Amino acid sequence: MMAKAVAGDVNPYIPKPVTIITVKNESLETKTLRLKLYNWRLSFVPGQFVQLLLPGVGEAPFCIASSQLDQKHIDLTIIRRGILTTSVHYLRPGDAVGIRGPLGKPFPLDAFVGKDLLIVATGIGIAALKSLIIYAIENRKKFNDVTLLYGARFLEDIVYRDELKEWEKSINVVITLSKAPPEWRGLRGRVTDHLGSLRLGKGTVAAVCGSPAVMSSIADALVKHGISSGDIYVSLERHMKCGIGKCARCIIPGGKHVCIDGPVFRVADISIGAIGE
Amino acid sequence: MRKALFCCLAGETMIKISKQELLQIPSLLSAMGYRVIAPIRAGGVVKLAPLGPDDQPEVEYIRIINSPKKFLLPDDESLFRYRSTATITSYGLKIRFPTAEGPCPVTILPEYLPIRERLAFFGIHQCMVSSVRYLDKVMMSDPADPYYKNRREGMFIAELDCDEGDEYCMCRTLGTYKIPAGYADIQMRKSSSGYLVNAASEAGKELLSRLKKQDAQGAYPKPVPKMVNDFELVARDEQEIDAKGAPKSLEACTLCAACTVTCPTCYCMDIEDKFSLVDPSNVSRMRTRMSCQRKCYSAIAGGTAFLHAKEERFKWRVKHKFPFSINAFKLVGCTGCGNCVAYCPAGVDFREFVGRRVA
Ligand SMILES: Cc1cc2nc3c(=O)[nH]c(=O)nc-3n(C[C@H](O)[C@H](O)[C@H](O)COP(=O)(O)OP(=O)(O)OC[C@H]3O[C@@H](n4cnc5c(N)ncnc54)[C@H](O)[C@@H]3O)c2cc1C
Ligand code: SF4
Ligand code: SF4
Ligand code: FES
Repeated sequence: MMAKAVAGDVNPYIPKPVTIITVKNESLETKTLRLKLYNWRLSFVPGQFVQLLLPGVGEAPFCIASSQLDQKHIDLTIIRRGILTTSVHYLRPGDAVGIRGPLGKPFPLDAFVGKDLLIVATGIGIAALKSLIIYAIENRKKFNDVTLLYGARFLEDIVYRDELKEWEKSINVVITLSKAPPEWRGLRGRVTDHLGSLRLGKGTVAAVCGSPAVMSSIADALVKHGISSGDIYVSLERHMKCGIGKCARCIIPGGKHVCIDGPVFRVADISIGAIGE
Repeated sequence: MRKALFCCLAGETMIKISKQELLQIPSLLSAMGYRVIAPIRAGGVVKLAPLGPDDQPEVEYIRIINSPKKFLLPDDESLFRYRSTATITSYGLKIRFPTAEGPCPVTILPEYLPIRERLAFFGIHQCMVSSVRYLDKVMMSDPADPYYKNRREGMFIAELDCDEGDEYCMCRTLGTYKIPAGYADIQMRKSSSGYLVNAASEAGKELLSRLKKQDAQGAYPKPVPKMVNDFELVARDEQEIDAKGAPKSLEACTLCAACTVTCPTCYCMDIEDKFSLVDPSNVSRMRTRMSCQRKCYSAIAGGTAFLHAKEERFKWRVKHKFPFSINAFKLVGCTGCGNCVAYCPAGVDFREFVGRRVA
């Protein structure tokens, strides 16, 4: 017999059940799951993440990639990389999984108001910034210029194709491919190759997410282009288990925990060395 | 009558007892409802273990190979179990439900029973008491770890003063031989004729009232323990640690993780799901010990890892004990117990790295 859950609400390790209502193929490797919450609402701020539990497989952290206005559903965009993320790719509508969250510190949105917002994403890093992009569009008047600079390797890797077309109507969307096919008419090369053509300066704040090595070179380049390290925010990835500062897995140089002090960090508050490998 | 008893209790915080009486304290603690954990000599080492009715606690020792963390944060602990209608598929466990509107059809029904036993540590030295203080900082900070908190609440510490360390100790340098306020219910120390026992909490006073004793006069002595090797800290911030070359002994390090396993304050954990093929719908969420000396500690998807060479991992351990803990918890994470030095098969000595020999 199953014992009754005791103190379930105060135990931060216990996930809440959710079901998958849609699975969207974004690219060969990437899918977006839409999760439905039952009898509870999840209010989050862009930048926060959840721990997704696949029963019997385990937990992994994923950023919430949907609008904060919808508190009954959340989207997670997940790239296939290892055991859990491959299992994710077998999920179908109706499957039940668990989530814990929202976890972590979000983007300090108030500090962005009235500024030019530059969002730099490479690869799957765009998933961590999608809720911020949506927020900027839903609150377009709060910001000056809003630019999304999105870098991918191959044309096939580009995710959020439908959304990108929609976003173009209200913000600048710049896409660059480092391994572009001959027929590609957009920009080529890495995101750092194109920072020079953007209008950057004192009034700009930047939000960056990509692989650790790429993020530290972007942060470096942004500083060289005159953005102060106090205005650059990165969303870091580390190995995470507990998500609440108890397992010591996500510590970065300096001693901060990515799960509770981040994943969003102001570059001025950490060393650029803490971003990369 | 009541009042008189209270006065009498409040007055007698320090008593003198014989060794025989000291050895009765564990059974008194059991009678008070505690599960008593005490040092036991077995297989050539002294280690903390639950004290059985026939076990004799060891009170003449310097070093224990394990620490209170073994009981406060046990290895291989089931955080909860959950059950769902499940079948095994190619990717492991699969639960399928029709997408129905209305109440959630899913039953992740966690089974989680609060830990009811109260622990009493008998005869642990000052460094081990200091380790509990550090674990408290980490585990009780918001949000508190419910499992740790449950065990910690109502716990009893019967500390036994250590006056002289072995060649691996460093508590003098770190000041961790001092018992932080509120961290020992009773303090015990060997004296010329038997043992002095000092009660510092209500539970401690209650225990003393159950002992046949003689009142002792004067203040409870607080000497600085004698060290075989004495050190002064020279490198405790991150830049200083990064700038130093690795200790020579690190060449022989095999990354066995004995340092972090025997360390009373290393709290790294893995959290994983385990289930049996016989009953796959019955899943346990297990928490097991991890170590920064292993590659999987820092590896993330895509082959990226943040700590590669053993020098980086050694320095990471030292940084977590000193600058990281000072920044995050305002408390040094090393209690100077010396276990990581004493039990290292390669003879790696972090004291030579962070410190300078003064004697
Ligand atoms: C705050 C945060 C937000 C993230 N957001 C997203 C997102 O929106 N979309 C997305 O696709 N990915 C995201 N990730 C990365 C994602 O969590 C990892 O890809 C995933 O954990 C890999 O799990 P796996 O079981 O498939 O890999 P495994 O089979 O376990 O192993 C593959 C590799 O991943 C490492 N790994 C395993 N578990 C974790 C873990 N819990 N954290 C980090 N690395 C781990 C392993 O050490 C190994 O090197 C995020 C990570 C963090 C820390
Ligand atoms: S680092 Fe070494 S000396 Fe310090 S508490 Fe851990 S085992 Fe003891
Ligand atoms: S990171 Fe290393 S030093 Fe820190 S608690 Fe974990 S094993 Fe110990
Ligand atoms: S994920 Fe456990 S401490 Fe951050």
